[in-house]
Amino acid sequence: MSTNNFKKASLAAGAVAMMTGTAQAARRNRGVKRLIARIKNSDAATRTKAWQSAGDVGAPAVQPLAMVMTDDDLEVARAAKRAMWKIVRHTGRPGAVNAKTVVVAKLCGLLGADQPVSVRREVLWMLSEIGGMRAIRPIAELLTDKHLREDARMALERIPIQRAVQALKAGFEIAPEDFKPNLAQSLRKRGVEVEGYPCVKLMPTK
Amino acid sequence: MKKSKQLNRREFLTAAGAAAVSVPYLIPSGVLAARGRVGANERITTAHIGVGGRGGGLLREVMKFRDAGSVNIAAVCDIDKNRLDKAVETAGEGTDAYHDYRHILLRKDIDAVVIGTPDHWHGVQVVHAAESGKHIYCEKPACCTIEEGKAMVAAVKKNKVSVQIGSQGRSQPEAYLAHRYLVNDNIGHISRVDCFHYPSPEDKNPVPDSEPPAELDWDMWLGPLRWRPYNKRYLHGVFRWLLESGGGQIRDRGAHVMSCAMWWMGADGTGPVTVEATGTAPKQGLWDSAVLMDVTYTFENPDWVLTWRQMPNDQLPKAEERTPDELNNEIRKISRPGYGAIYRGDKGEFIHWGGDGGTWAERKARNWEPPAGAKDVYKSPGHFKDWFKGIRTSSKTIMNMEAAAGVANLCILGNLSYLLGRKLEWDQAGQTIVGDAQAQRMMSTPQRHPYHL
Repeated sequence: MSTNNFKKASLAAGAVAMMTGTAQAARRNRGVKRLIARIKNSDAATRTKAWQSAGDVGAPAVQPLAMVMTDDDLEVARAAKRAMWKIVRHTGRPGAVNAKTVVVAKLCGLLGADQPVSVRREVLWMLSEIGGMRAIRPIAELLTDKHLREDARMALERIPIQRAVQALKAGFEIAPEDFKPNLAQSLRKRGVEVEGYPCVKLMPTK
Repeated sequence: MKKSKQLNRREFLTAAGAAAVSVPYLIPSGVLAARGRVGANERITTAHIGVGGRGGGLLREVMKFRDAGSVNIAAVCDIDKNRLDKAVETAGEGTDAYHDYRHILLRKDIDAVVIGTPDHWHGVQVVHAAESGKHIYCEKPACCTIEEGKAMVAAVKKNKVSVQIGSQGRSQPEAYLAHRYLVNDNIGHISRVDCFHYPSPEDKNPVPDSEPPAELDWDMWLGPLRWRPYNKRYLHGVFRWLLESGGGQIRDRGAHVMSCAMWWMGADGTGPVTVEATGTAPKQGLWDSAVLMDVTYTFENPDWVLTWRQMPNDQLPKAEERTPDELNNEIRKISRPGYGAIYRGDKGEFIHWGGDGGTWAERKARNWEPPAGAKDVYKSPGHFKDWFKGIRTSSKTIMNMEAAAGVANLCILGNLSYLLGRKLEWDQAGQTIVGDAQAQRMMSTPQRHPYHL
């Protein structure tokens, strides 16, 4: 094949790939739109079928579903939350490393202050099941958030990598006195010796 | 109405000392018996943690032993003031009331605790009670996570306390007859046990979150669970229909019916190699446990299959009708026909209904006369009496901690497989799920400070 012909063939292949990619993206968008429409449906059976099928739609649905999680209709909001969990449980399956990485990234994007506390709290628990190295920093940043620090602590406690322990240690160093016992609890759970904040689990408080 | 007490340790020791002088039967039983054991002629001093619903039933059961002279009831505890007040009234004069169960654990005069709290508290309270040297009766299921079960077994073993978990089906008279019938080869080699149960309910009356009622300490009701706003559909008895706090029928009644299966199959201490579950989800409301459910547990060496099936009511096996002669002869009518199990052997089948406080064995097991040389099996004197014997003599209880954690693990693994939508592999020796990192994380749930194992 001449150089010119090779260039032509490459351009043609690129164009086909772009069209295929565009077609795939369009299909994904349609899938997300359909899922959200069914999640918002007034019929309970339709909503239930929708959230149960969310695993296959996957990462592209995460952010749109998060917006529905605070819907005024309680049952619609609940269906959206369950759809999010379905995605998390589906993507955590053995062998789905790439899919999980994308979902984790989308979830981390929901931890910012622009999201309602109820959504961020739920997302922390989702990350506790599938989050890895890249989830540690955004979770650890919430150790200083008075509404979310306890859930952030528990999420880090559950993620079984050393970086999570380091984040708990770093959080402990700068934590206010009233939160240090909580972090000490997690650190002990992860095998770290903590001085000065003894376990108080057997002490009556009420 | 008696006011809740919150004695500090020094106040308590002063008070207990005075009481010991003036009321001889309140002398801590440990003074007269081996350390941690109650002398054969001493009363066992109990305290009750969680006294509404089933916990209230347990209190009334223990009161019968108090009336018969073998038990003192020193204290009751609940985080719902209305329930606490009612329990004090029921238990009568001389019973102290507490809001926080840890006050009870500090009291040295209390030998044993009876725990009737929602399931999500069992693991934490059993571990705390064992670490405080108390003998324990705890409602079933033993635990909500694999990690809790491990911690409970370790704490009980380390502190040498007697534990009875409330799968009382093992202690029922007809359970003994069924067990004896099966181990004597009457239906041959059993390769399959199919448990059946009616569906878990759906919430027909969902309501929005609200402020908790004044009588309820919502923070302590949640305990180790992550915080969330109060919703009245979390409690009281309906906690059973939430996966976190109750687990649905598979954990509520599975801890009974599968307990009988593990006991009669001689399978305590063993576990499945694979667990695979499917189910249908509720269509609305807060409750999230599976309505219908199919779970298959595969055991190896020896090979057998255990199934748990929540099925529509019209598919349930028909209950045996008991004849007027039988009913006149102290044989009880089957009042709970909606659950039980079918044992399938190579020479026939056997069915029982119930499996909890009501356990009914098929006629052929009840009428079977053991020939000379037949094997006999342990006959429980009653679930509480079996526990009291354990407290006094260190004998192994019929639903001891290891056995109960093993049964709870079946319920937990079934729900995990349902939630994850995939088959799980279980390593019984290592007490872990194999080859599934997410499922491994879900073997434990981080607990809120300071309510932890």
